[in-house]
Amino acid sequence: MIQSASSFLGKLLPTFEGNPTQEKALEMLEEVGLPHSKSEAYKFTPITSILDKHIDSDIRNKQTFDKKLQYAEEGSHLVLINGKLSIENSNIEDDLSYEVKEVSEGKHDPFSLLNTAFATEELKLTSGTKKPVFIYHFNDSGFSNPRIKVDVKDNNSLSIVEKLITLSEHNTFTNSYIEFAVGKNAFGYHTKVQNHTAHTYTHQTVVANVGRDSHFYNNTFSFEGAMIRNNLTINLQDENCEGHMHGLFLLDKKSHVDNNTSVDHQKPNAYSNELYKGILDEKATGVFNGKIYVRQDAQKTNAFQSNNNILLSEEATLHTKPQLEIWADDVKCSHGCTSGQLDEDAIFYLRARGINEKSAKAMILNAFASETMEQVKIASVESEVQSLIDQKLEA
Amino acid sequence: MISINNLHASIEDKEILKGIDLEVKAGEVHAIMGPNGSGKSTLASVLAGKEEYEITAGSVTFEGEDLLELGAEERAQKGIFLAFQYPVEIPGVSTTNFLKTALNQVRESRGEKALDAVNFLKLMKEKMKLVDIDQALLSRSLNEGFSGGEKKRNEIFQMAMLEPKLSILDETDSGLDIDALRIVADGVNKLKTKETASIVVTHYQRLLDYIVPDYVHVLYQGRIVKSGDKTLALELEEKGYDWIKEELAAV
Repeated sequence: MIQSASSFLGKLLPTFEGNPTQEKALEMLEEVGLPHSKSEAYKFTPITSILDKHIDSDIRNKQTFDKKLQYAEEGSHLVLINGKLSIENSNIEDDLSYEVKEVSEGKHDPFSLLNTAFATEELKLTSGTKKPVFIYHFNDSGFSNPRIKVDVKDNNSLSIVEKLITLSEHNTFTNSYIEFAVGKNAFGYHTKVQNHTAHTYTHQTVVANVGRDSHFYNNTFSFEGAMIRNNLTINLQDENCEGHMHGLFLLDKKSHVDNNTSVDHQKPNAYSNELYKGILDEKATGVFNGKIYVRQDAQKTNAFQSNNNILLSEEATLHTKPQLEIWADDVKCSHGCTSGQLDEDAIFYLRARGINEKSAKAMILNAFASETMEQVKIASVESEVQSLIDQKLEA
Repeated sequence: MISINNLHASIEDKEILKGIDLEVKAGEVHAIMGPNGSGKSTLASVLAGKEEYEITAGSVTFEGEDLLELGAEERAQKGIFLAFQYPVEIPGVSTTNFLKTALNQVRESRGEKALDAVNFLKLMKEKMKLVDIDQALLSRSLNEGFSGGEKKRNEIFQMAMLEPKLSILDETDSGLDIDALRIVADGVNKLKTKETASIVVTHYQRLLDYIVPDYVHVLYQGRIVKSGDKTLALELEEKGYDWIKEELAAV
């Protein structure tokens, strides 16, 4: 066994207690280790060294969840406190099918393994309800591993909104994992709103395995956080299925957001569409990495990707990297990324009509950002995202 | 209304305007003509407050106020309107929304109350007729994918909405077919009052058949080299600009 270089992981090991699946995950994790500073996939987001330096996994806070933090929207509202479902804080509709289970196997990358090993429970949601399910991860411990599996049965549709809430003045690290199994002719919707604090460090893994004639949508809106890493993987496992990825990172201060997305076309006639937009101000860092795999079998694939960015400050940093690996020969694939400053001609045009410079900029940026909101489709989430956009652009 | 004295302007250390003098009074229409590259569009942009240009000498007074001290939005709020030669496409911002913001910021600067949605729509409907513009066009993203004619009509529509004192039309006629030209010119003429004035920048005489100027000035190499009444425009149409160049060379 190779000893992990991470002191964070080293400190965790003696505290480990888990079932055989978790033991196996831990063994695999010890084998591969957490990504080090030279790992390509974490080149711009040195999360392991952050964990070693800034995260104390022993910290346990006891804050109370304020119901005002919930969306005013019909549906089930589930509160997970440090990874454990808190029934007393949740409002669960009768038609929601859920279960708290032993941790079962998941993806095999380091942070998914870390979650598998150290998650305290696994929340299983099964489709059936027509209303959206809101999940609030209320985390105030140094280290927590919320773990959710979602089963969208054939011909069903399920919409999930996830939100991490960290109010602690200590640094927290939330390593969350959510896995969707989307059956046949089924629809899975998943939206995340990330507006955290300068003490919030988080690694969030989203996996969707999409079946025949099914669609999966992910919307990720990021506004603030010390370090946010989003790993989104969509496996289009059968014919005629679709994966949609929309994201916005609108950052200032020293916020750091890394969106690492990947879509895997495995069978013919599938479609994927990805649109990520970044607006970076002050000393913020944004990373976008979009992988598209088209397997040899996946003829007639349509895959589109675009990442557009506006930098508002000379101290902001952006890394963007499309990665296409195509083995099939009859496919339509396109990708494009742009980054630049605000269009001065557009600002002048608006100012020449009497609109002050600040409003002119906000107007242009707002329009730029709004395009990523098209697939949200839940009114209160939409208006929350819009008001966060307005707030950020107002500042 | 506006008086321009010995105005010099450069961009990236290249002097484009080399001493412009022009006086425009309320009720007047002035045409500025000249060959390509003579500085016509620069003059229009400088008056509207485009910051890329550096004013190296001279002054501009608008209704007794130093115009050059004001930002572009303040100039617009005080009643200057530039109809752009190339209206900018702004994705995601609808013309309606944009105009509502513009109109209300202009009103606010004058201490007037913002228009509510009902009155704004009423005003819009009324002005739409002036330039024969379609509601559907106005709910689309500003200028995005508009044809040349649609863009220019949208400029005049905005002018109608904002009711400026001084409108500067920068080659509004270029690229328009005769029908579109007539619609645009009609719009401009209907908006004309004794209290307003226009500076019409154009390369061709054609527009001046419809918008009849009181004065015609020829801009050449950054200076106004000749001024006259509307017959000067006809003369230019007939003889081109070469005779002016020759006349100047002879001096």
